[in-house]
Amino acid sequence: MHIQDCTENTCVDQIQKIFHTAEVEIQRKKRVKVKLRLDLVPLFLSYARDYLNFKHLAHISCVDWIEENEFELIFMLWSYEASLMIMVKTRVNREKPEFITLSHLWPQAETYEREIHEMYGINFKGNERLGEFILEDWEGVPPMRRDFDTIKYSKENFYQRPGREDAQDVRETISKHSGEEVPDFAKEFSIRRIEE
Amino acid sequence: MREKETTIYLGPQHPGITGNMMVKLKVAGDTIVKAETHVGYLHRAFEKLMEQRTWTQSFPIVCRICVPEPDPNEENLARAIEEIEGREVPERAKYIRVMVLELARLATYGLWMGGQSGSMGLYTMPQWTIGDRDYILDLFEELTGGRVYHMYIWAGGVRRDLPEGFTDRVLKTLDYLENRLPDYDNLLFNNALFQKRAQGVGIIPKDKAIEWGVVGPPLRGSGIKHDVRIDEPYEVYDKLNFIVPTSDGCDVWSRALVRRQEYEQSISIIRQVIEKMPKGDYYNKIPNPLTWQVPPGEAYVKTESARGEFGYYVVSDGSIKPRRVHVRGPAYVHGVSLLEKILVGANIADVSFIMNSLGTCPPEIER
Repeated sequence: MHIQDCTENTCVDQIQKIFHTAEVEIQRKKRVKVKLRLDLVPLFLSYARDYLNFKHLAHISCVDWIEENEFELIFMLWSYEASLMIMVKTRVNREKPEFITLSHLWPQAETYEREIHEMYGINFKGNERLGEFILEDWEGVPPMRRDFDTIKYSKENFYQRPGREDAQDVRETISKHSGEEVPDFAKEFSIRRIEE
Repeated sequence: MREKETTIYLGPQHPGITGNMMVKLKVAGDTIVKAETHVGYLHRAFEKLMEQRTWTQSFPIVCRICVPEPDPNEENLARAIEEIEGREVPERAKYIRVMVLELARLATYGLWMGGQSGSMGLYTMPQWTIGDRDYILDLFEELTGGRVYHMYIWAGGVRRDLPEGFTDRVLKTLDYLENRLPDYDNLLFNNALFQKRAQGVGIIPKDKAIEWGVVGPPLRGSGIKHDVRIDEPYEVYDKLNFIVPTSDGCDVWSRALVRRQEYEQSISIIRQVIEKMPKGDYYNKIPNPLTWQVPPGEAYVKTESARGEFGYYVVSDGSIKPRRVHVRGPAYVHGVSLLEKILVGANIADVSFIMNSLGTCPPEIER
């Protein structure tokens, strides 16, 4: 296919001709969405890069669909020639999240994979730099997973400075410190203490 | 005799960046053999925070992802929500958004000129450009109430209309900035010292630039003419006339030339915007922000920021909070995989210099 001819429709046709199981749709102008089986993704991405000329890997993202016990991996590829983006989506089992690295196709994929590994715990086989990246000495659930409870973590690891406890009534506190009375009209709007 | 290799930890505070980021350098003599980027000093878990905030509450968070240029973040998040929801934006709001984005680009380039010259010891330039940038910040203060973080662009349009006589003040500021350009040229761009330091340093090969994920001025400085404003026009960029400057040198000097020309283009864009801006609504009102549910869907939108493609992947599951907001800042690639590659073979003194030319902004990497 000539790259100049690659429009949303021809792109969809071409992908469906080669990848029969792919669910392909035009999301909007300049956006084609492709849903694929996990094992076909590396093959598809190298096909899109080398044959359809989607040379620019713009982004790799991850979403935790905890209700379905799956992670969704999303790869954004952009073709400068056709001014078109393909959004490639696949699902990974949450129990044993594994995929292979794409750093042999795009060197910058390594960075995206390092982040997703650290934040979601997905293992990208072949990526030698997985490990500590943004976080330091992190133990426990990867923090971007939906089951990571930020409030619980915060309560267990940090403490409130005395006199600065949460859910204080700001007006009351200021009044206590300064000795000034809260005016009547302001009392009506006072924030109620949140019951623990 | 082979020189002994030593490890140097450069940073996290050094003149190459706005923010904190460390580069671990393995050097032989003065030459870098290996470079490793270390981030984590600015991680504030913004993406996780947004999953626990309402859609409107996310706007004051996203602008803090990039200090020099917060507006593309707001615009991206707003446009992603609008795309998922199918919300129309009034024409006037689109023009105002472009004006804000281009003013932000000018302010960022002012900061970049200061940083680029400051990192080679030319300290007059930062004092000039940071001072001139303040005139743009004055405009932002009048328009939005904030000098650095604006929280002005939001879903449905912009927060308030232009104040009386604002466009006149913008035009006057543009005239002033344009008249300053010969001074900038004399001190920086025509400076033999800068040219000698910048030429042939920090090479991004043209045939590798796209494959390595390079975007923005570094891509155009490698002779490749791509700009999101042209490739996928957003807001009203398709109604404006401007050129996309390129330069073939692939080095720090070429990237500087591209930015210098884009500075003039941005001034021209803002003048066109003021001329063409229609009257009318500036905001398509959203429902009660505390109960506002964005329908299920996803969107990937992108903006051409001063440092390159800024992308937002936003997912909604139909609730009052975002399911996922993932930010793709240009520094994500420029500051890690690209920097580690092009620093090899450079001198220690050029590290900050090269980082500046890439527009490395650590908060974009770790968010």
